[in-house]
Amino acid sequence: MGLIMKKQRNIFRLLILALFFIIVPIVLYNLGDFPKRSFLMDVLSIITILGFSLFLSQFFSTRINQKLVKDIRMVNVLKIHKFIGYLFISILLLHPFFIVVPKFFDNGVSPTDAFLTLITSFNSLGVILGIIAYTSMLILLITAFFRFKIYLKYKTWRYLHGYLTTLFIITATWHVINLGRHGTNPFSIYYILAVVSVIYFLLKTYLFKTSKK
Amino acid sequence: MSIESINGCIGCEECIKSCPTDVIRLNPTTKKAEIVYQEDCQICHLCRMYCPVDAITISPEKSIPVIVSWG
Amino acid sequence: MKESTNNLSRRKFIALAGGAASFAAIAAMGLPTDWALNTTKVDVDSLSFDKIKTDVLVIGGGMAGLFAAVKAHDAGAKVLMVSKGRLGASGQTPFAKGIFTYDPKKEKLSIDEFAQAVSRSALGTNNPAYTKQLAEHSLDRVNELKQWGFFDSSLYNKSFSKPINDRNIPLQERVVITHLIKENNKIVGAAGFSLDSEKIIFYEAKSVILCTGAGGFKPNGFPICDLTHDGTIMAYNIGAKVTGKEWNDGHPAKSENAAACYDGWGDMFEKKPETTSVEIRHDLGVDMNYTAYINGGAAQMGPPGMGKQENIVVGGPYRPEEFNNAGGHQGGKKEGEKRPPRKEGKGGPPGMGGSVVGGSSAGMSIHKAEGIVPINDQCESNISGLFAAGDALGSYMAGAIYTQIGSSLAGSAVQGAVAGEAAAKYSKTVKTASISSSKIKEIKEEILAPLKRDAGYSAAWVTQTLQGIMIPNFIIYIKKENLLKGALAYVEELRDHHLPTLRAKNFHELRLVHETANMIVTAEMKLKASIMRTESRCSHYRIDYPEVDYENWNVWINIFKGEDGTMQFEKQPFNTWPI
Repeated sequence: MGLIMKKQRNIFRLLILALFFIIVPIVLYNLGDFPKRSFLMDVLSIITILGFSLFLSQFFSTRINQKLVKDIRMVNVLKIHKFIGYLFISILLLHPFFIVVPKFFDNGVSPTDAFLTLITSFNSLGVILGIIAYTSMLILLITAFFRFKIYLKYKTWRYLHGYLTTLFIITATWHVINLGRHGTNPFSIYYILAVVSVIYFLLKTYLFKTSKK
Repeated sequence: MSIESINGCIGCEECIKSCPTDVIRLNPTTKKAEIVYQEDCQICHLCRMYCPVDAITISPEKSIPVIVSWG
Repeated sequence: MKESTNNLSRRKFIALAGGAASFAAIAAMGLPTDWALNTTKVDVDSLSFDKIKTDVLVIGGGMAGLFAAVKAHDAGAKVLMVSKGRLGASGQTPFAKGIFTYDPKKEKLSIDEFAQAVSRSALGTNNPAYTKQLAEHSLDRVNELKQWGFFDSSLYNKSFSKPINDRNIPLQERVVITHLIKENNKIVGAAGFSLDSEKIIFYEAKSVILCTGAGGFKPNGFPICDLTHDGTIMAYNIGAKVTGKEWNDGHPAKSENAAACYDGWGDMFEKKPETTSVEIRHDLGVDMNYTAYINGGAAQMGPPGMGKQENIVVGGPYRPEEFNNAGGHQGGKKEGEKRPPRKEGKGGPPGMGGSVVGGSSAGMSIHKAEGIVPINDQCESNISGLFAAGDALGSYMAGAIYTQIGSSLAGSAVQGAVAGEAAAKYSKTVKTASISSSKIKEIKEEILAPLKRDAGYSAAWVTQTLQGIMIPNFIIYIKKENLLKGALAYVEELRDHHLPTLRAKNFHELRLVHETANMIVTAEMKLKASIMRTESRCSHYRIDYPEVDYENWNVWINIFKGEDGTMQFEKQPFNTWPI
C-alpha cells in the first residue's frame, strides 16, 4: 500500500514538472498570435522552445530536488538528469542551424551566408548573449561527458558545473527574451518565473544549507 | 496590412538595406529592425527574402489611407 | 502626417487654414486633414555637407549601373557608385528574371534580320542602332554575369557586389540624388542626401552616368514605387532632352489585393534568372485597357477564346498581322519569362486566373522607350559629360512596344557597359570638375526647403491626388484630347500650387517630396506628349485618332526645358540622331 502511495506521489511530482516545463510552453505557444509558418518550421520552433524549457527543468532533476532524490534515489535522478541534459543540449546546440533551414528551400540567400550573417550580427545584444550561452553550454556538455577523464575533484567539478549552468541560464534566458521569435510577454514572464525559482532553489541548497555529499 | 511584423530580429540590417521604399529602420535603442513607414510598402517581399532568419511576415492586403479634400 | 494637427494651437490653425472655422472644428475632432504644420525634428541650419571627387559618377545600382561602374573602372576611370536603394535590390532589376542572349551560333536570324523584325513589330519606332547593339553585346554581358554568380540565386546583391568589391569601387547606398549640376555647359557633378547619415552630399564628377531606371506614379501592383523618373527629371532640369513620355506599359494586376506585387507575380520573384533567346513579339501595349474600356471594366475581363464571346472587341490598338498570334504560344511556355503572360494567355499573371485590373505600372513607358535622348549610339546626351543607360536612356532599343522577352535586362547590361566605357573616355578629356560655392549654396537650399517649411502639403497626399488624376483608364491609356486637357489642368494646379509647398519632417519624407515633384513633372510631360501625338501606334492609343499615321508621325517626340523655363516639344524623325 505504502509503496503504491509512494509511486503515485512520484508520478504526481513528475507530472507537475511536466506540466510546468512542457504543457505551459505549448499552451503559451498556441495562445500567442504568432505568424503562421510552414509545418516544419513550426515543429522546429516547438522543439527549440521545449529544448529550452526542459533544460530549465534540469535544476529540478538534481540534488536540489531533495524530495525527488529521497523518493527515487539519486541514481535514478541522475539518469533522468543525464538523459534530459544530453538530449536537450543537442537540440539547443542545433537551434541556430534550425533558423536557416528555410534557406535550403528557396533560391535566395544561401544557408551558409544566412548563418554567417546570423552569428556575426554583433550589434545585437541578443546575438552576443546567445554566443556566450552557446559556448558555456558547449563547455557544460564536454565537461559532463568527459567528467572522469578531466581528473577534477568531484566537488570542484560540481562547482564548475553549477557556475557554468548559472552563466548559461542567465545569458540564455536573456538571449531568449531579447531575441526569441516568440518573445511575447507571457513567454518572458514564464521564463523569468522559471529562472527565479531555479535560482531560489540553488541559493537555498548551496548557501543556506550545507548539502551532504 | 502589407509588411506586418518582424519576429526574432537579429539586427543585421539586411531588410533595411534591401527595402526599395525605405519602410524599415533600425530602432536605435533595441538595435532591431522596425516597421516605420508601413504606408510606403510595395509588398515586393525583398526584405523577407534577404532576411537571414526568416523573421518578416507580409500579407497581401494594403490599407490605403482615406481620401481627404486637402493635404 | 496626421498627428501634427493635434499639436497646433487652434488660433494658429485657423490663421493657417485661411480662417475657416470648420477646419478648426475638424482638427479639434481629430479627423485627418493633410495640410498641416510641419513638425520637423531636423536641425536644418546645422546640417553639414560632404564633398566627394571622382571621375565618373554612376547613379543607380541596378543592372545598368553595375556594368557602367565596372566598365568605366576597367577603362581606367576613377568611379563612384551611388544608389537610392541597395545594389541589385532596388528599382526593377531585382524582379527581372529573364535575360536575352543573342548567341550567333544558335540563332537562325542574323543580327540585321533581328533588328528588322523588331522594327516591323514596333512599327518603326525602334532605333536600329540600339537594337543591333543589344544583340551584338548580350552574350558577352551574360557570360560576365555568369562568372559573378548571377544565375545562382534569386537575389542579386551578392553577385552584383562581387565585381564591385573585386575592383574596390566605392559604393554609397541609400543616397537620394536630387540634382545634376551643370556649369559652363558641361556636367560637373550631382547632389543629394543620405537617408542614414542625414547629410547633404555633393559629388564633383567629370562625367555622370544616369542608371536611374524608369518610373511611375507609385502605382499598386508593380514593384516600381521607388522609381519616380528621378534621373529623367534631373537631366531635364539642366537642359537635357528627354523622350518617350506618350508610351505606356500595359501591365495588369490581380483585382484581389491589387497592391500585392509579390502575390500577383506568383513565385516569379523567388526564381533564379534564366536566359532567353530570339522571340519577337508585340507585347505590353494597351490592348487589355481597350478591351476593359469597351466592355466596361475588370468584371468583364477574361481570356478570349475560352467561351467568353463578349471579350472579343472590334478595333483598338493596331497589331501587325505578323505578330497577331504572338500570344498563342505564350501559355506558360517559358519559365524565365520576364513578365506575366497577358490576356491572350491565361487571363492574368502566372498563378492568378481570376480577374485583373489595369494600371499596375501606371506612369511607366515601355522599357527603354523613355528617358534621356541619346545623340549617338554611345549613350551620350546633349549635355557634355552626361550619359545614361538602361531604362533611364530613351534608346528605343525595342521601340514603343515590348518586342523581345528578356531584352530589358540584357539591354540595361549592354548599354551600361557602353556608357561606362564612353564616360571613362570622355572624362580623360576634361580637367578636374568643381562645383562653385554659389551653386552649392543654391542647391543646398533647394534640397532642404521642404524641411524648413512651417506648414505645407504632405507628399503622400499630393501623390495620391496625382494618382487619382492620372491612373484612370480613360486618362493615360485610352486617350482623348478633352480628357487629357482636363487632367493637364489638374496637374498644372499641383505643379503651381502644391509642389512649392510640400513639407517634410524628416529625411524619409524629404525623399518623398523630391519624388513627388518628379512625378508631377512627368505627368505634365506624359499628358502634353499624348495630346501632341495625334495618332495611335504601339502602346500609345488615342481613341479620337485610332489609326497609325505613317505620313506625319514617323517621329519621336523630344521634350526639353525652354529658355523661359517652360516645357518645349520637338519632333525627331525615326532613324535619325538629334541635331
